[in-house]
Amino acid sequence: MISTALRGRSGAIVWILAIGLALLLPEFIPSKAALTKMCLIGIAIIFALSYNVLLGQTGLLSFGHAVYFGVSGFAAIHIINLIGRLQLPIPVFLVPLMAGVVGAVFGLLFGALSTKRHGTAFAMISLAIAELVAASSLILETFFGGESGVTTDRSLGPSFLGIDLVSQSQVYYLIVGWGVVSAGGMYAFTRTPLGRLALAVRDNPERAEFIGYSTRMIRLLAFIVSSFFAGIAGGLAAINYEIMTAANLATAASGTVLIMTYIGGVGYFYGPIIGAIVISLIQLSLSDVTPAWLLYLGILFIVTVLFSPTGIAGLLERHLPPLRAGLFHRLIPSYLLSGAAGLVFCAGAVALLEMNYHVTLNAHEGPLLRLFWLTVDTTQPMAWVLAMLTGVVGFFLFRKTWPYVANAWSDVDMRLRESKP
Amino acid sequence: MTQTALDLKDLRKDFGKTPIIRGVSLSVAAGERHAIIGPNGAGKSTLFHLISGRFPPTSGTVSLHGRDITRLSPFAINRRGLSRSFQVSNIFPRLSVFENVRCAVLWSSGYGYSLWHLIDGLSDVTAKVEQVLAQTGLSQRRDTPASVLTYAEQRALEIGITIAGGADVIMLDEPTAGMSHSETSGAIELIRSVTAGKTLIMVEHDMSVVFDLADRISVLVYGEIIATGTAAEIRANKAVQEAYLGTPAGAA
Repeated sequence: MISTALRGRSGAIVWILAIGLALLLPEFIPSKAALTKMCLIGIAIIFALSYNVLLGQTGLLSFGHAVYFGVSGFAAIHIINLIGRLQLPIPVFLVPLMAGVVGAVFGLLFGALSTKRHGTAFAMISLAIAELVAASSLILETFFGGESGVTTDRSLGPSFLGIDLVSQSQVYYLIVGWGVVSAGGMYAFTRTPLGRLALAVRDNPERAEFIGYSTRMIRLLAFIVSSFFAGIAGGLAAINYEIMTAANLATAASGTVLIMTYIGGVGYFYGPIIGAIVISLIQLSLSDVTPAWLLYLGILFIVTVLFSPTGIAGLLERHLPPLRAGLFHRLIPSYLLSGAAGLVFCAGAVALLEMNYHVTLNAHEGPLLRLFWLTVDTTQPMAWVLAMLTGVVGFFLFRKTWPYVANAWSDVDMRLRESKP
Repeated sequence: MTQTALDLKDLRKDFGKTPIIRGVSLSVAAGERHAIIGPNGAGKSTLFHLISGRFPPTSGTVSLHGRDITRLSPFAINRRGLSRSFQVSNIFPRLSVFENVRCAVLWSSGYGYSLWHLIDGLSDVTAKVEQVLAQTGLSQRRDTPASVLTYAEQRALEIGITIAGGADVIMLDEPTAGMSHSETSGAIELIRSVTAGKTLIMVEHDMSVVFDLADRISVLVYGEIIATGTAAEIRANKAVQEAYLGTPAGAA
């Protein structure tokens, strides 16, 4: 994991600004709905960071990371209920830590089964474990509560220093607090001997064996660390929702954290944070706007895999050298040109997709569709022709203008090389 | 002879029904520089893999400083003081040169899988890494990702990783393969300096390197050692001349 942008003093400033922003955000956006969304994003950030301990740092592709999030979340629900029933003097804001320990224990258990292998074999075992746990979540009703899940009331515990977690804003600050602790912990982990050796195991497991390291042990320890932080996220989710259901540990949830982490950028520590924010916003906001949001999410994932495998963070890092060298303005004209063409293409494609969705899934709403700021009559052939035309023209314009971007970049890269000694 | 560093007793390895190593017995004294030569396909690399734990032998034993290490895993063998390099550079491509060497230093410095130390605070580790980088001539390339090093630099890094853990038995698999003349002489000096006071076992094709560095030479042909001796003895050996060096003696 290379983090050139967020290291050193400028890096520290960015982190402090980010934490400050997280703390002040409820002041700027006082709506209740926004607060709920920010809570979900905070949980997603911790979860995605924990996933990157496996994927980016240790090179382990897991299809079952939601297991450790989910099981810990269920455990947290039971812990809170127990605190309430026995009137234990344990503040509920410490429950995420206990959930983390539960996650770590399951990480040890299932990690011992899977970390002997890496690559495809590891991925398949992780999927098998995920399916196994998802299946048992519907059978073991005492713990998982069957189809309806298990519920709690987060205000059951004792009030401590005025923290009773009754209001959503208290929950938000709790998530921010645990988020800062978790992100700090995972960043520190990348700077420990074990964290560095995980990178070596990711890069070349064979060589690591021949310089004295059990790659299996390193994978297992990294797996436990990752599961611990996933467990903290799960515990916070339990406090936030006050309910956990089988969906929280299903393979779909594991897929979402994979997509978040990958789109954000697995090669950079802060990549998953960006990914968690972007994907959560798509999930939370785009789903209000269009029924096709999952399709757009899938397209975004495919585009990232194909064209920007280093993710959003990789794109940002790519732009840092020209920014620092004062060459960024040389890229802007080509970006504007190609970006405009790309927007035309996207507008056409989105129009076609939305119209298709409308006539197939939302036919009962009649032929009229609100699209952007227009009302489109899907019975008019002209609407379809126009949408298709926009898409085709946009595509060709984009193809024609993309070389300008490529040229601008080769020019900038050349100047960067020249400016170096 | 002094103490024995590495002792092979009737080591055999079959792949399926094909015997590749057919009963190798060899004793290397502590502090000796021993070269293993032989034609392509003789089983030199396989022999290295058997000693270093990559494959288990079909039969026979390997002992290091008198202790049996047969069938131990590679990391366990490494921790007992045997470290090897690879014929094809086997480094950590996405890590910096410094990180490559640091990984190799951590175990012997006692930090192993530690979660309780911050790596930047380990001044003993950093000092040791700097020392290895200076020895291998890679100090200038400290922060370069290993994948963008030149070939000769990657070979030097390969040797650096191999010796960094402080093993006293060093095994180098064709350390100068693919190098130019000047690079080769540089590599010979490097090998000589980093293995000073240690036991060296190397596979090598370049006869000038072998005759220059090695105290003793073993000739491996079809999975068997047909001769072991000093450079002069090997040059004079009839069987070796037929099997390997070609009829006119002194092909060096």
